[in-house]
Amino acid sequence: MRQFLTVLKFELNNYFKNKSFLLTTILLIVLAVGIIAVPGVLMGRDSGSGGDETEYAAPESESTDGVDKDVSDQESVALFDKSGSIEDLSSFTALMGIQVQWLECSDESQVEEAVNEGSVEAGFIVEDLLHYTYVVENRSMSDSLQTAFSQAAAASYRSQVLAEQGIDASEIEALYQIQPESETQILGKDSAGSYAYTYMLIMVLYFLLIFYGQMIATSVTSEKSNRAIEILVTSVDSNSLIFGKVLAGAIAGLIQCALILGSAVGAYQIFRESWGGLLDSLFDIPVPVWIAFAVFGMMGYLLYAFCFGMLGALVSKTEDISKASAPVLMLYIISFFIAIFGLNDSNGILVRVASFIPFTSSNGMLIRIAMGSVEMWEIIVSGVLLAAFCLGAGVLAAKIFRFGTLMYGNPIKFTTALKKIREK
Amino acid sequence: MKLEVKDLRKSFGDKEILHGISFSIESGKALGLLGRNGAGKTTTIRILMDVFRADSGTVTVDGRPFHPKKFRIGYLPEERGLYPKKGVQEQLIYLAQLRGSSHADAKEQSMRWLKRLGVEEYAQRKLETLSKGNQQKVQLAQTLVCDPDLVILDEPFSGLDPVNSQILKDVIQEQIEAGKLVIFSSHQMSYVEEFCEDIVLINHGDIVLSGDLGKIKREYGHNRLVIGLGEEYQEPAQVLRDYVGDLLHIVGSRKDQVIVELKEGCTRKFLLKELLERNLVPEEFGNYEPSLTEIFVEKAGDQA
Repeated sequence: MRQFLTVLKFELNNYFKNKSFLLTTILLIVLAVGIIAVPGVLMGRDSGSGGDETEYAAPESESTDGVDKDVSDQESVALFDKSGSIEDLSSFTALMGIQVQWLECSDESQVEEAVNEGSVEAGFIVEDLLHYTYVVENRSMSDSLQTAFSQAAAASYRSQVLAEQGIDASEIEALYQIQPESETQILGKDSAGSYAYTYMLIMVLYFLLIFYGQMIATSVTSEKSNRAIEILVTSVDSNSLIFGKVLAGAIAGLIQCALILGSAVGAYQIFRESWGGLLDSLFDIPVPVWIAFAVFGMMGYLLYAFCFGMLGALVSKTEDISKASAPVLMLYIISFFIAIFGLNDSNGILVRVASFIPFTSSNGMLIRIAMGSVEMWEIIVSGVLLAAFCLGAGVLAAKIFRFGTLMYGNPIKFTTALKKIREK
Repeated sequence: MKLEVKDLRKSFGDKEILHGISFSIESGKALGLLGRNGAGKTTTIRILMDVFRADSGTVTVDGRPFHPKKFRIGYLPEERGLYPKKGVQEQLIYLAQLRGSSHADAKEQSMRWLKRLGVEEYAQRKLETLSKGNQQKVQLAQTLVCDPDLVILDEPFSGLDPVNSQILKDVIQEQIEAGKLVIFSSHQMSYVEEFCEDIVLINHGDIVLSGDLGKIKREYGHNRLVIGLGEEYQEPAQVLRDYVGDLLHIVGSRKDQVIVELKEGCTRKFLLKELLERNLVPEEFGNYEPSLTEIFVEKAGDQA
């Protein structure tokens, strides 16, 4: 135990004194805080303003002529209405739902010229409300102007036709706007509500594995590659060594992750009003889900960490690690995709099966606990299986490390290592 | 403390590398494991250190099975290696702690050894920034930092310059005087002759010679004489063969001296008398004491 703690302390120090580790942590913290803080700063709202949502949702209802709006938000658009089918341009603009500064033109070439010059962003040549040409220099992926124009044209056309038939268009519109009033009484779990944080927790596990897997493997291989292994295996029990190294990597990962997420949550608390509570569902994680994450997520992370440790024991040069780690990464990516499918069908057979297989149960059981229905016995069986695999992987990694002590050169095949260990 | 190795056998694949190695050594003495490259010295040491398991045979300390991790052992492996990117003292402390020292002891001992070896100024530097010679000194400090009861050194002199060799010689001598049990392998015979009371000569996985070095030398010199006839004789061996060939065998030569073995029934006195009667006045006439190198070459040479 003492040796294990000595190894753990030494290896943790390796991470915490590593400049690139510190730099990455600081950069990611700054990035996380920045992402949370920037929208608040850009919107120019501090936490005291109250962040009135109705005000933010206003454009549709009050942008009649754009007088009160910031001119920079308006799009300049050229318009040539051949037959004068748009009767009231300001009502038409309101129907479009976006703010537009119109440049009314007297012929088609004027529209094209204005677009070419860049004095307007686009132009419309209107034959009648059901036929028009959209003139634009370069069409972007996010161009919504044409859709808005079509909607407004169609609505104007409907109004005109209804008016001709003596029907009040506003009554018809009001009928379409009616929403039934409802209340939801959730007796089990609210999958819709828990989707965001479950997704986030799965992504956290994914990134932990992707970032730390290879680092853990490298730390195990390093003694072989710097030839310190003979001194080490004659000084310390290989179980203490492997468990110390792998757990140090796992702990370093968790600390880094906690620091980054903690800063993000902290920043969100400060800028929550600016976000209008938009991310509440991401951070409002119930206690049972936290426990499931701590038990299954962490054990799953450890299981993979030990697998990476095992890989590190099989190779003797750090440059061989990335090639050798492909099968373990592939296994985790399968588990990850099962989880992504499972998020939409948390009680499906795929997730139920995955929640018992140790290599997929970290994600599978997390999804079932957070979003689906699960019996206590299922949680216990899955947890015990996962813990046993974790321990087994650790011990096997230590045996492989010990077996491969003086085997320098090409990576040892996993099956060869297993066979040799069994022979012993 | 008495360490006994009995009948160690070890195979790699189908090839048996050690064919039954046995020797023993007590505290306060040094044992030299000698042999050519590939003879089985390192394999023997690795079995002692439990890096490999022997196929058969036993290693005991005072009659009880020897488990290296239960003792404080200073081990310098043939394959040298430490952490190049870690601080010198930091890794010495770590390795001492792994071998049972407290942090305070490890800190004190590491600094003591760095000072003793003249590299204390590099204590906080990364190992990779040191010269090769200084890195070797750090290796030696690593070996001794845990204040070991057993010191096992595999080819300790390999790659050392004369100054570092002298430092290592002094340190090994101190360890022997401090009552430590020292085992080291080498094919540099001069060092072995300086420290070792006992030697084990391994050749192709077999012990071909073992025991007290002084006794071995005497036995090898038994009934053999060194005769020097002076510079006037160009081929002294031929002269001796011509004049007193019926009394002796020519065994070898050293510069102007001839090493001879007396035939049965012939005494030194009689030989000297016969030489003088033939007007051959030897400038040198005495007991032959072979050097370890000569014994080594004879026992482990290509003809051995």
